[in-house]
Amino acid sequence: MAEKLSQSSFTAESIQKKSGGFLGVDKSTLIKGLFGGNALVAIIVLALITFFLFREGVEFFPQYQHDMSLYRKSGQELAGLLKAEMDEYNELQKELEAVQVVLATETLEEIEGKEWPDENAKWAAYGEKTAAFQNYAESIRSASGPLKDVVEKVRDHTREMKEVVVVQETRKQITGIDLSTLMDEEEAEKLLLGSRQQVKDLMPEIVEAHKAFRENLTLVLASPPKVETEGGKEGLEDFQKEAEKFLEKIPGFERKLEKYDAEKPFTIWKALGGFLMGTEWITASSWQDYYGIWPLLSGSLMVTGVALFFAIPMGVFAAIYVNQIANSKEQNFIKPFIEFISAIPSVVIGFFGVVVFGELIRVWSQAGLEPPDIPVIGSVLGFFSNILNGIALRLDFFPISERLNAFTAGGLLALMAVPTIFTLAEDAMNNVPKAFTEASEAMGATRWQTIWRIQIPTALSGIISAILLGLGRVIGETMVVLLCAGNRIAVPEFKGAGTVFEPVHTMTGIIAQEMGEVVPESIHYRALFCVGIVLFFLSLLINYVAQIIVRRYQIANG
Amino acid sequence: MSDKPKTESVPPSAPAPQVTRDAGDLSAAKTLIEVKDFDFFYGQKQALFDINLEIPEKLVTAFIGPSGCGKSTLLRCLNRMNDLVDVARIGRGSINIHGVDINSKDVDVIELRKRVGMVFQKSNPFPKSIYENITYGLKIRGIHKKSYLDEVVERSLRGAALWDEVKDRLHDSALGMSGGQQQRLCIARAIAVEPEIILMDEPCSALDPIATAQIEELIDELKTDYTIVIVTHNMQQATRVSDKTAFFYLGKLIEFDETARLFSNPDNKQTEDYITGRFG
Repeated sequence: MAEKLSQSSFTAESIQKKSGGFLGVDKSTLIKGLFGGNALVAIIVLALITFFLFREGVEFFPQYQHDMSLYRKSGQELAGLLKAEMDEYNELQKELEAVQVVLATETLEEIEGKEWPDENAKWAAYGEKTAAFQNYAESIRSASGPLKDVVEKVRDHTREMKEVVVVQETRKQITGIDLSTLMDEEEAEKLLLGSRQQVKDLMPEIVEAHKAFRENLTLVLASPPKVETEGGKEGLEDFQKEAEKFLEKIPGFERKLEKYDAEKPFTIWKALGGFLMGTEWITASSWQDYYGIWPLLSGSLMVTGVALFFAIPMGVFAAIYVNQIANSKEQNFIKPFIEFISAIPSVVIGFFGVVVFGELIRVWSQAGLEPPDIPVIGSVLGFFSNILNGIALRLDFFPISERLNAFTAGGLLALMAVPTIFTLAEDAMNNVPKAFTEASEAMGATRWQTIWRIQIPTALSGIISAILLGLGRVIGETMVVLLCAGNRIAVPEFKGAGTVFEPVHTMTGIIAQEMGEVVPESIHYRALFCVGIVLFFLSLLINYVAQIIVRRYQIANG
Repeated sequence: MSDKPKTESVPPSAPAPQVTRDAGDLSAAKTLIEVKDFDFFYGQKQALFDINLEIPEKLVTAFIGPSGCGKSTLLRCLNRMNDLVDVARIGRGSINIHGVDINSKDVDVIELRKRVGMVFQKSNPFPKSIYENITYGLKIRGIHKKSYLDEVVERSLRGAALWDEVKDRLHDSALGMSGGQQQRLCIARAIAVEPEIILMDEPCSALDPIATAQIEELIDELKTDYTIVIVTHNMQQATRVSDKTAFFYLGKLIEFDETARLFSNPDNKQTEDYITGRFG
C-alpha cells in the first residue's frame, strides 16, 4: 500500500499523449464509436421499417383506384347497388320465413289438440288456418319479381365483362406470355364501354321495375293477414315493422340510381376515402373486393375501449394503493405480482381467454353459473353466482351466443395493460415531492384529502401518460385479439352496451392472419400494409401525446 | 410592505404585549407548551434525551444548536409530524399543550395540526394557484363559501405581508413566485386557518438576506397573535427574532433562557462555546 507512485517529473515529453489504439484510431474514439454505433443501429432500423412500410403500402391507392375504376366502368357498380338492395330484401324474407315456421308449429299444436273425424278434415283445417299467411308471404316474395330479373341480367353481364378485363391484365404480368395474343388497352376500353352501355340501355327498365317493386310492397304491407296464434302474431308485427323500415329506405336507393354515373372517373382521393371511410373489408370475392378499414378499426377501438375500461381503474387504483396506503410488506408483495403479469406470454393469456374466460361469460349469459359441488366453498360461491345470475337476467343484451367477442378480448387485454399503467402511474405518484404531502398533512388534511387533493392532481399528467402508454400497448397487441376477438370482419351493429359482446376483427389481427396467405404485391397485400401504416400512425400519435404530457408535467414540478 | 395598514392583521381580541424583549415581561408570560421528561427515538437511535421545556404563549421561542442536535425533531414532535416516519417513537415523557397530552390516544392528530401550523425549511407551496394554496386549509375543512374564502385570502396575504405584491395575480401558479414570496405564501397558508401555534423549521435557510429580513419582520408582527417556535441555524437570527432561546446539543437541552441573557451571559460552558463560534 505504501508504494510510491512512480511518476516522472514534469516535462513536455512526460505529459504528451501516448500513441496507440487500433489502426491509428485512438482508444477513446473507438469506445465512442462502439456506443454511438449501437444507438445509430436502432435509429437506422426504425427508419428502414418506416420506409419499407410506406413503400409497400402507398402503392395500394393507385391499385385500388384502378380496381374500383374497372368496377365502375363496367357498370358493375350499378348492379352492386341493386344487389345490395336485393340482399337486404332477402334478409327480410328470411325473417318472414322464421315467422312462418313459428306459425306452422303453433297451428299444428292447436289442431292436434282437437278431435277430427279423419285426416283429410284435419289437414283441410290446417290449410284454412294458414292460407292467409301463405298468400301474404307469397305476395312479399313476388313483390320483387320483375326487379329481381333485371338485376340478375345486369349483374351477370357486367361481372363477366369485368372478369375478362381483369384476367387479361393478370396474364400480362406473367412472364413468357406472348403479349400479342392479349387484349390491348383500347380493346379493353371498348369492352367496358359496351358493358356499361348495356346497363345504360336497361336503365329505364330498371327504374320501372323499381317503382313497381315499391308499389307492390306498399300494397302488400297495407293489408297484413289475420293470425290467431300468439307467437305468429308477435312475429308478424315485428316483421311488419322491419318491412316498413325497409320501405322507407327505398327512396334512398332510388336516389342513388338517379345519381349514378358510370362515366365519372374514380379519383385517387376516392380510393383514399374508400379505404379510410369504407365499412367493408371483403377479399377474394367473386363479385368485387373492398378494402375499407372501418370494420378493423372499429374492432380495434372497441377491444381497446373495453380493455381500458377495466385496466384504468385497476392500474390506477392499485398504483394509488401501493404508493399511498400499503405498508412496505404489502408493497413488496403486490408490486412484483403485478409486474409479473407482463411476463406472461400473450398466447397463454389467449388460451385462457378461449377456454375459460369466454366460455364462462357465455355460460353465465345463457344458463347462469352453477356453483361447484363442494361443501362450504360451494355454498359461498353459490351466493355469488346467485348475485351474478341476478345481474345477468337484468342485462337485456344477454344471452350471448359467441364466446369469442370484443369483450372477451378486451377483458384479457386489460390484464396486459394493467402492469404498464400500474408501474408508470406509481412512478408518477412517487415523483410527487414529499414536501407537498408534508405540507398538506401539516395543514391538518387527512390521508384521503392529501391523496385526493394533492397527490393525484400533481401526478395527474403522469397518470394520464401512463394510461396512454397502456393504450399503446393494447392497440398493438395481436395474439390475444386473434385468439379471442371472434374475427368477424364487419362493423358491429350498434345496440347499446350489448355491442361489446359482438365478435370483431382488429387491425393487428387481420395483418397477422392474412399476411401469410396473400400474393406478394397484390392489392390485398398492399392493403394489409396500409392497415399497418394506420396502426403505425395511431401508435405514433399516442406516444407523442403521452410524451407531451410528461414533458409538461416535469416543468410543472420544477 | 411598510405602508401596509397594521390594523388589518391584528384582530381586536389580541392585546398582546408588543415590546417584550425585556426580562420583566417575559417571566410573566403564560406557558402554552410544556415538554416533560421527553425521550424520542428513531428506530434504535435515541434522538432526544430527557427534554424539559416550557414554551410561553404569544412569544417567539428559538431552538438553536448544531446540525443533528435534535432541535428539528423536537419541533416536529409538537404537531406530531413525526407520525409520518415509520420508525419514529416516543420513549418516555409527554408534550402538553394547554395542559393536554398531545400524544394521548384520544387526541385526533388532524385536529391537533389544525391548531399547530407549520412552515418548512424549503418553501413548499402546492402546484396550484396562490388563491388555492391559501384556501386549501379551509377547503379541506369543508368551507367553500366564496365570499368567506376571498376574505380569508386577503387577510392571510396581508398578514404575511404579501398582499400588495400578489393581489393582481391571485390565480397564477404559486410556483412562479420568488423563493421569499413562496415562503411568505407558506406562512400565509398556515395562518389562513388561524392556528394558535406556528412552528417554523429554518424558514429562511434558503433565502437571500432581503427575503430573510422580510420574514423576520413578519415573525415580529405575527407574535401578537400567535405563539411561534422557530428552529434556526443562524444565531443572529435567533437574537433578532426570538424572546426565548433553547440551545440543544446531541439531543439534550443544554440551556433555555431569555434570548438576551442566553446570548450575553450563558450559564453553560457549551452554550458559550457554541454562540461564540468555537464549535458547531
